[in-house]
Amino acid sequence: MEKTFHLPWQVPFGDFSLKLDPLSRVFLATVIILIVSAGIYGIGYLRRYAGKKPLGFHLFFYLVLSAAFALIMTAHNIILFLAAWEAMSISTYFLIVFHDEKPSVREAGFLYLIATHCGTFCLLLMFFLMASTAGSMDFSAIARTSFSPALAGAIFFLALLGFGVKSGFLPFHIWLPQAHPAAPAHISALLSGIAIKTGIYGICRVVWMIGVFPEWCGYALLSIGVVSGIMGVLYALGQHEIKRLLSYHSIENIGIIALGLGVGLLGRSHRMPFLSSVGFAGAIVHVFNHALFKGLLFLGAGSVIQKTHTGEMDRMGGLAKTMPVVSTLFLVGALAICGLPLFNGFISEFIIYLGLFQGLLRLPLIGAVSCAVGILSLVLMGALALVCFTKVYGTVFLGEPRRPIESTDREDTSFWAVVPLLVLAGLCVWVGLAPGTMVSLAFLGGEYLAHVEHSAIMIEKVMVPLSMVIGSSFIFLAVVSGLVFLRRVLLRGRSMPVSQTWSCGFSQVTPRFQYTSSSFARPVVDLVKSLLFLRRHGGRPSGFFPGKAHVHSAVHDASEEILFRPLFVWLTNFSKRIDDSRIRHTQMYLMYIFLFLIFLLVWKLK
Amino acid sequence: MDIKPMLMNVFLVFVHWSIVLLFSPLFIGVIAKVKAIFAGKAGPPVFQPYFDLAKLFRKHSVYSRTTTWVFRGAPIVSFAAVLVLSLVIPLGMFKAPVQFPGDLLLAVYILSLARFFMISAAMDTGLSLEGMGASREAFFSCLSELALFMNFITLALLAHNISLSRMIGADIPMSWRTFGPALLLVVASFFIVLLAENCRIPVDDPDTHLELTMVHEVMILEHSGVDLAYMLYAAAAKLFIFAGILVPIIIPVHTGHPVTESILFLGGTLGLAILVGIVESSMARLRLNRVRNLLLFSFALAFFGFVVTKWRG
Repeated sequence: MEKTFHLPWQVPFGDFSLKLDPLSRVFLATVIILIVSAGIYGIGYLRRYAGKKPLGFHLFFYLVLSAAFALIMTAHNIILFLAAWEAMSISTYFLIVFHDEKPSVREAGFLYLIATHCGTFCLLLMFFLMASTAGSMDFSAIARTSFSPALAGAIFFLALLGFGVKSGFLPFHIWLPQAHPAAPAHISALLSGIAIKTGIYGICRVVWMIGVFPEWCGYALLSIGVVSGIMGVLYALGQHEIKRLLSYHSIENIGIIALGLGVGLLGRSHRMPFLSSVGFAGAIVHVFNHALFKGLLFLGAGSVIQKTHTGEMDRMGGLAKTMPVVSTLFLVGALAICGLPLFNGFISEFIIYLGLFQGLLRLPLIGAVSCAVGILSLVLMGALALVCFTKVYGTVFLGEPRRPIESTDREDTSFWAVVPLLVLAGLCVWVGLAPGTMVSLAFLGGEYLAHVEHSAIMIEKVMVPLSMVIGSSFIFLAVVSGLVFLRRVLLRGRSMPVSQTWSCGFSQVTPRFQYTSSSFARPVVDLVKSLLFLRRHGGRPSGFFPGKAHVHSAVHDASEEILFRPLFVWLTNFSKRIDDSRIRHTQMYLMYIFLFLIFLLVWKLK
Repeated sequence: MDIKPMLMNVFLVFVHWSIVLLFSPLFIGVIAKVKAIFAGKAGPPVFQPYFDLAKLFRKHSVYSRTTTWVFRGAPIVSFAAVLVLSLVIPLGMFKAPVQFPGDLLLAVYILSLARFFMISAAMDTGLSLEGMGASREAFFSCLSELALFMNFITLALLAHNISLSRMIGADIPMSWRTFGPALLLVVASFFIVLLAENCRIPVDDPDTHLELTMVHEVMILEHSGVDLAYMLYAAAAKLFIFAGILVPIIIPVHTGHPVTESILFLGGTLGLAILVGIVESSMARLRLNRVRNLLLFSFALAFFGFVVTKWRG
């Protein structure tokens, strides 16, 4: 079951020990799949920069990052884990700033660097608390130690801060929507698919190491899940830039994962093995699934941006005709991320729902109410994700091109550009229609986190409904093919005239008349505009003979505007004030030293 | 594995589909008839929807140059989704062929799948009117799904089960006795959801002629022939299925006698169709920006149902 590996290592307190347990196995599988497919895509993507950019440098850090990911998932010692963590953080920085000629990219990279080190600071504190209590740097030794509730709570809080920055829990997510659009497509896929999951992995690892948590920890994770999930998808709805939108969706999916973990923790503190295993297992399956479809979507978005030279969705349109392959594969990703049946997103959300409903029916009042809130927020996330992705798919791929596409060359259907997407889409469908392997693997991880023995009865309770879901999916596919056949028969031998869109007799003057992504999302954005910091300028024609009018609307990030910006302004001012009050005369220094000595003397004599 | 129960199940699936396909256009016809009577007109015969569908099935389709396969696929997906949805609910004497813990999730999400394709098909035409309708449909469904799930949560708590057949099944008479107020709230809230999800007045007017105010009708503006027939059939079947969820809650009688059960069920759906017709005749559609208040109101009703259940339980 578990495999360990040791190497002598000369670092003080360090021990090069790796362990492959049910938890790291799923995460490692995720890492490998995405590293390979993003790498293949990257080769094709970077080819255009050959000779213009230092590609060797980029590749070096890509490999460092891959190794660091694998080490993080398997490290079984604090020092080794932190070393791998730093290697990941720093190599990610160099990968993000690939287009370093743009100031916005440099800025995003810098923000990322600051954010990740703030997180590492909390992690150092957390590991210090663990190691000093356990007296060892080894994860297994820590797992054998029992922690007092207060200490466990403190460790949990620090883990939420430290790993939360990496995962993008609200409000620590602000680096995410900056870094993702700045990075090249294959790096965005890795960032969203794996880098933010390392935070989730870290939380899972802490949950595994510490046997008993106070009850509030489960509720804390549940509420983080609800807030991050709903706010993430609402912010995503307000975006106009495709990669920025996708990165906000990562925050939503992290919220879904946190919901699952919260259910798991609640189950553990109420000693309900099934509830706990289902919650954790759902979260783990969603980690895997999200890596697949988000990787697919980011790579697809990369191809779209390469073709149109813009990320603005309101300038695209009609790409389904010029890029049929990418548009079909992107559709798979979009359907999967909305959690629709036939695709993998539904499987993991179904398991998390099962956990939430289980909690609703079995937990005492507060637990049941929080599970009800969890269910409703998951429903809302699903429905809003549907709005968001019909908006993306509808404005980017369907309809008419909103402005002429400059390059008339055909779609890039080379091996490098298509195969990675095809593999990821295939895996999405595979998990969606044959989830057995993946779910049982994740369920082992869930039981491992829940600290319960493996039991076939528990996994049956998930597998039986899932097999019915799959059965219904196949009925659905059968009905679809039946209806296609019926349509063929009915339309046989008939002419199928093709003409322009009827539009109730009002033919369109220009394709720019089409509904834009901003107008599409407007009803939802308007409903929650006070939460979203929506700013709209212009748009009202004025005068008796109004001429041209411009409207500009943007959704601003509340946590950036009301939390971090004021905080950093205050910090800057504060440090400036300290700088101003610096002592400038040597005599003053001497006097301070003298006064301090007297103080120490008095203190000691007392 | 024994072959007999499997064959039985396959048979049941087809029985379900034939009931839904047979009776759902009638449901629409009854609503239209009631509305006509209220307006003092003779109105089309109640079987008119069947004739309309038959006519559409015999016609060819016209496609726009702008559209892609998504436009052609959407009618098929939405019809298939509604047919799969019909399998998880009991219809009179026939038990649901697909029952498992969590089947309500499958029901809601398969409808979402259909919605995804419907909205995409509307965006596919490149017509801003269709985009407008699609945007509204997407927005309203966020709120109505929330209300729908709030109802499901209450029902799940009452039945202590998360299978739709059980939630609206044998426990309902018992629940009426002990949790009457909660169920009453659920019925009221679910009725609003039924109107909203199926684009009836006061949320959407299926007979309106102004594209700017349409929701569902404008989304199928460019569809014709077989495609349109699929979509209309799917819409009718969806309404029938929603009624099929509501009727067993309203008529909590379990005689155990198959024929009586079926008559009660069909009578109930007929009564519900008349009720929908009366609602449609007696009120105007709401202004578009008021619809969200109605849906939030429906959510609030369901929420209080939940509170009552938790309070008493």
